[in-house]
Amino acid sequence: MLPAAIVAGVARRLVRVSFLLTLPIAISVVLVSVFTRAGETVLFEIGPFDATLEGVDFAAQTLVRLFAISTSIGLFGMTTDPRAFVLDLERRGLSPRFAFVALATLEAVPAMVERAQVIASAQRARGLDTEGGVAARLRGVLPLAGPVVLSSLTEVEERSLALEVRAFGRPGRRHLLWQVPDSTSQFIARAVLLGALVLAIALRLTGTFPVLF
Amino acid sequence: MLELSVESYRYPGYARNVLHDIALRLGDGEIVGLVGPNDAGKSTLCLVAAGLAPASIGGVLMGTLTLDGTPAAGLKTHELAERAVVGFQNPNTQRSGLAATVFEEIAVGPMNLGLEVPEIVARTREAIARLRLEALIERDPQRLSGGQAQLVAIASLLAMRPRHVILDEPTAQLDPEGTRLVGEALKALADDGTSLLVAEHKTDLLDGLCQRVVVIDGGTLVRDGPTAEVFADPELETLGVEPPARVRLRRAAEAAGIDPRVLEGARA
Amino acid sequence: MIEIQDLVHVYDGGTRAVDGVSLRIGDGERVAIVGQNGSGKSTLVRHLNGLLRPTEGRVLLDGVDAASKRVAQLAATVALAFQDPDRQIFAGTVKAEVEFGPRNAGLRDAALAEAVDEALRATGLESDAGTKPYDLGYSRRKLLALASVMAMRTPVVVLDEPTTGQDARGVRRIEAIVRDLGSAGRTVIAISHDMRFVADCFERVIVMRQGVVILDGSPAQVFAQDRWPELASTYLEPPLAACTGAALGLGSTPTDARLIEALAAR
Repeated sequence: MLPAAIVAGVARRLVRVSFLLTLPIAISVVLVSVFTRAGETVLFEIGPFDATLEGVDFAAQTLVRLFAISTSIGLFGMTTDPRAFVLDLERRGLSPRFAFVALATLEAVPAMVERAQVIASAQRARGLDTEGGVAARLRGVLPLAGPVVLSSLTEVEERSLALEVRAFGRPGRRHLLWQVPDSTSQFIARAVLLGALVLAIALRLTGTFPVLF
Repeated sequence: MLELSVESYRYPGYARNVLHDIALRLGDGEIVGLVGPNDAGKSTLCLVAAGLAPASIGGVLMGTLTLDGTPAAGLKTHELAERAVVGFQNPNTQRSGLAATVFEEIAVGPMNLGLEVPEIVARTREAIARLRLEALIERDPQRLSGGQAQLVAIASLLAMRPRHVILDEPTAQLDPEGTRLVGEALKALADDGTSLLVAEHKTDLLDGLCQRVVVIDGGTLVRDGPTAEVFADPELETLGVEPPARVRLRRAAEAAGIDPRVLEGARA
Repeated sequence: MIEIQDLVHVYDGGTRAVDGVSLRIGDGERVAIVGQNGSGKSTLVRHLNGLLRPTEGRVLLDGVDAASKRVAQLAATVALAFQDPDRQIFAGTVKAEVEFGPRNAGLRDAALAEAVDEALRATGLESDAGTKPYDLGYSRRKLLALASVMAMRTPVVVLDEPTTGQDARGVRRIEAIVRDLGSAGRTVIAISHDMRFVADCFERVIVMRQGVVILDGSPAQVFAQDRWPELASTYLEPPLAACTGAALGLGSTPTDARLIEALAAR
């Protein structure tokens, strides 16, 4: 996976993001497993808790797995264009409605951020203090969040009518203008990865997969 | 030909009728202006004329809408969309959000109709040509000016190949240049045989654009006639509609005892 | 007194929205700023209450540099009504919505109640004081946004396209509000695309194009025939009264009233 990341040019960002994402869980995993895992070899003690070698071993294994999961998800997220992904899914059979919801959600976030900024400006122009202390900021929650929610909701009706007028309500498949290009090398890479996965599962099940300790 | 006859219409969950006793006809190639005070039912009338009320938003319509001889009553919204479309004043809410370029944005409608790709492309090209948007086809729909975005929204509607286009305050959020662009585009549309219903406050715009004007007040049509006649009506302002500048000037001249014909000869 | 000195504002992407503007606006002036979208009008006025800070140049309010104050502090001097009322409405009732601004400005009890009542009356919303804002139609919500800004009793009021979307009655109301604010000695600055509204209600018109001011004067001066080429360069047309007056050789008659006066005098 890391070589793939390096090829895609996102290696450093990927490692950093995955690390940050797993860190909170990692801390709790380490604390819990190291100190509460039943085991024989005690490394050190803190009060009523004792850290065992087995605990450390378990924690290490779990951390590696967590890191692997987050890096793979992160790699996917960083290298895939969401629009291309969703549209390709639709070409392969995903309902156009799901595709729309997925894409519209992606689109909705930057639009909402922009809306929130305008709202913040408008409320600040009415004297809302956004640079003050905690109390001031708490008072600002409703004037800031309120219009974001309310105006989004009031727009929903007009948006959905505008969609209906463009036949979004029509059931059935559609012929897409877009096509995600596939190449032989990508096909081969997918086949190899799939094969490796099957092999890894088979080896694990038959117990011959090498284990760390 | 769009023929609408409304005995009454009310929104779902409301007891009050928002519209009552309306008879409206849009002939092919006709541009009809719709004016009236706010909250008189202009927007509701636009939705009913496009069939979206009640087909999409529900409510109870006592009356009939006939689109080119076909009753709208049994049609589903996507079937209606190929006959009559409605555009709104905010170009942002009409953007699908799915397209990276203006071309794709306009193509979304035909795509949704399940058409084959060559047909989708043909209709899109046609809509672009009708509104002369060739220069914009590669642009990001999010990065257009208000006027351009509104034109793209109208083109997106045209790609459905409707015979009837209803627009609810299309120039409300536009600057004078944007307003002019939209006005010209609408004229070109009518020349091609599309019938148009344009709701607007800008009576100067409608003055130069429409053959007929209808006035809505309190949920019903109170005037329906040729543009010049309706706009010259002395009760127009009491009805909540600002007369066009030339009418205002003429009245002011008459009120001051000056022969209004002096003004006519001076149209710059 | 507002003083804008060599103001330049460059947005993050590199757009020079305001490219060197110097202006002075006296207390109690009624000024309209016009120009096509993208000419820098909105960018310019947002410097008056600190929402935008200059890239170069200064904005002085009564001699004090606006950059030295926070937006919330400047709101006590300059109130800005945004074009889209739905970008600020959040309260449960019309009255509560109008109270928000003046409350932030420090008004309490009798003074607050008075400011709110006055604003509600001016915008025709007194009978709707207990109504939920979203039960009002769009144009009345716009009036609500205007009321909530008026109630702040600031010496300077900035209106961003106040007549957009309003019917005839709404426009009349806004014209009356602009006149009343002016007679109360408050400075009114409005961005508008409605040349008739501008010529009728404002004593000074500033025309912007591509970030600079190309015309600045009374409506009679700005809409005079020799200025039409400049207006055309930014896709603006003078009001019909001005065109008619020029065609009849009556001099500059930017409003209906002036035109009729000139005709009667002939």
